[in-house]
Amino acid sequence: MSTQILTLDSHKAGTPPGDLAIWFFIFAELLAFGIFFLAYAFARANNVELFNESQQHLNRESGAINTVVLITSSYFVVRAVAAIREGLSRQCVYWLGAAIGLGGVFLVIKLFEFHAKFSAGISLSTNTFYMFYLSLTIFHFMHVILGMVILAAVMLKAHQGGYTAEHHTGVETGASYWHMVDLLWIILFPLVYVIR
Amino acid sequence: MHNIENQRSQFIRPCTRVWLGLLALTSVTYGIGRMELGGTQIVMLVLIITFIKGEMVAGFFMGLRNTSLLWRAIMASWLVIVGGGIAIAYLVGLK
Repeated sequence: MSTQILTLDSHKAGTPPGDLAIWFFIFAELLAFGIFFLAYAFARANNVELFNESQQHLNRESGAINTVVLITSSYFVVRAVAAIREGLSRQCVYWLGAAIGLGGVFLVIKLFEFHAKFSAGISLSTNTFYMFYLSLTIFHFMHVILGMVILAAVMLKAHQGGYTAEHHTGVETGASYWHMVDLLWIILFPLVYVIR
Repeated sequence: MHNIENQRSQFIRPCTRVWLGLLALTSVTYGIGRMELGGTQIVMLVLIITFIKGEMVAGFFMGLRNTSLLWRAIMASWLVIVGGGIAIAYLVGLK
């Protein structure tokens, strides 16, 4: 029984997977984004018509596809963690590679969206809605890039055989950060693209 | 071998179900957006769906369901405060 628990949860009982430091970082990030989300929501409360009208010009399909992409990418990272817990480094690398690939898909879709907006002459100073839309999504975009860099570093180490079934805190640490990036988009999508 | 099967049944399979559930809930949110539905009840439904999705990601993908109450409470509090704040702001905007 104790061996099973070791395999399932290599971290200390009761604490989250990965390095504890990443969780302080994650909650700091969540706090920052939380304030940003609430600032958007209350700014909208003072400009409902402007926000509803501007929202109609967003590409909701892109937002939904990107939600599916990030959720699936997160699931691939789950599979990477599961693989390394079984000591399967090669499979771990493959799952991480697939997750990073989907991260790239997210960025490309978002770049198309940004390009469309900038081509239409829209900028941060167009109106309050676009100030929030662009700053929120660009801020998140940068977090996706950082998450991909972290996952790439983890993948490289896994490729070099740096993790085992017993010692794989780095994989869980990178995974936790990536799931946070996914979690943030799960809130950002309905907030900016759907709620009206 | 037993450990591997144990992990698959206790970690991978639940996460696979969560992944599919997240996709299904996303399609509901997208459908609401596509039909451009609005109003208090619709927005509350969207926020409840978002809260459920957040709890699914935090609990299963991030692994918080296996942690102490403190960690789960911090994450749930964040989701409630953000979701509740958005709901209050929406209601303020109706006035």
